[in-house]
Amino acid sequence: MAEKETPPIILQFAPLNSSVDEGFWHSFSSLKLDKLGIDDSPISITGFSGPCSHPQVSNHLTLLSESLPLEEESLIGTTSHGNRNKCPVPGILYNTNTVESFNKLDKQSLLKAEAKKIWEDIQSGKALEDSSVLSRFLVISFADLKKWSFRYWFAFPALVLDPPVSLIELKPASEYFSSEEAESVSAACNDWRDSDLTTDVPFFLVSVSSDSKASIRHLKDWEACQGDHQKLLFGFYDPCHLPSNPGWPLRNYLALIRSRWNLETVWFFCYRESRGFADLNLSLVGQASVTLSSGESAETVPNSVGWELNKGKRVPRSISLANSMDPTRLAVSAVDLNLKLMRWRALPSLNLNVLSSVKCLLLGAGTLGCQVARTLMGWGIRNITFVDYGKVAMSNPVRQSLYTFEDCVGRGEFKAVAAVKSLKQIFPAMETSGVVMAIPMPGHPISSQEEDSVLGDCKRLSDLIESHDAVFLLTDTRESRWLPSLLCANANKIAINAALGFDSYMVMRHGAGPTSLSDDMQNLDINKTNTQRLGCYFCNDVVAPQDSMTDRTLDQQCTVTRPGLAPIAGALAVELLVGVLQHPHGINAKGDNSSLSNTGNNDDSPLGILPHQIRGSVSQFSQITLLGQASNSCTACSETVISEYRKRGNSFILEAINHPTYLEDLTGLTELKKAANSFNLDWEDDDTDDDDVAVDL
Amino acid sequence: MDSAREVSDGRLTVEGFSVAARTFADKWMIHNQAFPPWSWIPLINRTLLVSNKEEGYLSLEKIIILSSLDEIPEDESLNVATDCLEKEESIDHTILVPTLENEAHYYDFHIVHSASYKVPVLYFRGYCSGGQPLSLDVIRKDLPSCSVSLLVESKWTFITQEEHPYLNRPWFKLHPCGTEEWIKLLSQSSSSSGCHMPVELYLVSWFSVVGQVVGLRTPLQMLN
Repeated sequence: MAEKETPPIILQFAPLNSSVDEGFWHSFSSLKLDKLGIDDSPISITGFSGPCSHPQVSNHLTLLSESLPLEEESLIGTTSHGNRNKCPVPGILYNTNTVESFNKLDKQSLLKAEAKKIWEDIQSGKALEDSSVLSRFLVISFADLKKWSFRYWFAFPALVLDPPVSLIELKPASEYFSSEEAESVSAACNDWRDSDLTTDVPFFLVSVSSDSKASIRHLKDWEACQGDHQKLLFGFYDPCHLPSNPGWPLRNYLALIRSRWNLETVWFFCYRESRGFADLNLSLVGQASVTLSSGESAETVPNSVGWELNKGKRVPRSISLANSMDPTRLAVSAVDLNLKLMRWRALPSLNLNVLSSVKCLLLGAGTLGCQVARTLMGWGIRNITFVDYGKVAMSNPVRQSLYTFEDCVGRGEFKAVAAVKSLKQIFPAMETSGVVMAIPMPGHPISSQEEDSVLGDCKRLSDLIESHDAVFLLTDTRESRWLPSLLCANANKIAINAALGFDSYMVMRHGAGPTSLSDDMQNLDINKTNTQRLGCYFCNDVVAPQDSMTDRTLDQQCTVTRPGLAPIAGALAVELLVGVLQHPHGINAKGDNSSLSNTGNNDDSPLGILPHQIRGSVSQFSQITLLGQASNSCTACSETVISEYRKRGNSFILEAINHPTYLEDLTGLTELKKAANSFNLDWEDDDTDDDDVAVDL
Repeated sequence: MDSAREVSDGRLTVEGFSVAARTFADKWMIHNQAFPPWSWIPLINRTLLVSNKEEGYLSLEKIIILSSLDEIPEDESLNVATDCLEKEESIDHTILVPTLENEAHYYDFHIVHSASYKVPVLYFRGYCSGGQPLSLDVIRKDLPSCSVSLLVESKWTFITQEEHPYLNRPWFKLHPCGTEEWIKLLSQSSSSSGCHMPVELYLVSWFSVVGQVVGLRTPLQMLN
């Protein structure tokens, strides 16, 4: 065999790459969910391509939302023909319903089927009429519409010419054409691209006459071009940017040329642009040698290749769009945005992280509990636990904003359970749970059989308080607040207390626990000289919590309150908590009074003052702030009680529950009362001897 | 003086927006050839049969920024064999094996009129060549460093992620909260002879500030 001087260089084509716009997956998901269901028959789609427009980046075959057959009307007009950068290319989509069937698809036969279509279009002449069919493509996909992830694989079927095409020469178009010719070619190309009728025709003929005038013609005018020219090139929109390689569309183009016109030498023109105009430096002109195969018949479809590589590997691609499609995630980001806007516009020093991570325990899921929960959600607080023993009653939904009529029908749902369901319906990303449990109360003696279960409840309550950061006391009796107050003081947890009268309310934050600083003896002295602890709900009482069926002002079994109170008090309770969380000293923050003049910005908290107690009345439409120090004789938070609890645990609790005077004796309240009573007796003795006083007017 | 022809309160009507958009796009095409031109995308109003108002938005798409090769996290569940085509397709020597080049990031910008704020709003998004959307962290790395500090310091520029008003997908946008105020400042500062900013120049002035945030410079000649 005679050796040629230079071995033929095999023409190497740059592979085409796909680009799937997010909008395509959005539209496809809707199509699948609304219309297709489990139907997995192939779908005709339209891809979009265009010539390369950047010297360093190749163009892609793109899928957009308008690639799918249009069903519903969109606000944006449909892409009309004549969009220069969106030349339509026919394609087909095989979407499977499971990942297994995706993997099992017979890729080779699918590719063969599409290649056969191209071959048939070449044989029949359809490719001359509508040359975009030469770039027909195929996509297989699996759309996981629960996780919003999409697995897909493109194939750009290319007919394999055997023997392979060899390259005779390849150079930039500006070096091939004379400058006069180049000018004319550029102008002709720009006209072609500017006209709506031809701008999306990707394969064309470039005919240059002997006097350097160039004209661009449709492929079907090939016969008419014969003899007309000095140079005749086969031009096409080349997506590739590389200086030494033509793009993928040339493959099927050469197959067409060989088949229709039996040419052995083909001059081709890789048309590329920059900034919207023909760029003949970037564009290439080449000469290829195509060997005619003698044994070829029109029926034999050549072999085909074309599955797209993924980073060099022969595996499918995948994309996760959960962030932009999962409705829960979209809700989360919308809510976060709202809070960030507040910070940006009004409170730049707001600490949002502490809010999203704080864990709130709500003791009571009634009128107050529902309002507190709703306002907490508004602040972006996600972690809420409800404790409530009761069920939703028929009178509840109108005042307790988390419940609806459905919750009371039948035997009625447990409030703790219904509240959790309601929160999740409002905002799916809530981390919320409910505990159906009664809170042990002093002054309500229990039998010995009940002891174990009551102590179990105490332990549960103690564990719940330990595992949360802030506790809301929202129950409907005074005595039910005792044990939680004690446990919060013991664990040094933020406690916010809200109580309602008929037309008045009280909202307060408990002070820090008595051993909030270290137990070191030396530190205890320092503790006493430092700012005093703020009081808790029971600090100002001289009476231990007892059975309160006989009513008093704020502590009665409130079944009747003005409806506006619970929302007001609940909202204030949450604002108070947020104030504590934003304050640099947190639970140890000293109490402010609104009466103290507050000139300028409060440096301690960006939100304003942080009171200790707020008391208000709807009958007067008034509200005041109060300040109270912790009492050493407090039945809930004093050192005496806390250390006794720590020493004796359960037996202490049991005694407090069963013996009405135990707590008073322990804290010295009994002593105090005795002293007060004896003091009065002395006074009375003095009076009876003094007649002058009796007569005096 | 026709108040609709001038900007005195920092706001822009729908009609003013389409007028200003045309001027902006024309000036951009003449003076800013480093970039492709903005296109006007009209909105089809199907409720009104005859609509005097031409509503639409400006679009500048596929701005390419080359960055160093990123590690794009693949879907974790993609546990596929290393070669899915082993038995099916032989290696074809006519396919050029591409060298891994720099990853290209594509950016689309839309200027949309906000009916509620009555000011223009810049929406944008970024994506990789395969179509995967870019997160804000990645986008920040593409922004010029002076923009990043502008974003952090300035109270006028705040990037949020919201639903695009017409495309129903989340895009990033520069929040329009303060726009009215600083446009007022701009228009007043140019009122040496008592005249305010003409409506046509609204977008040019607006973009000269806003564009900097996303690294799109407005050439000075455009402001004339």
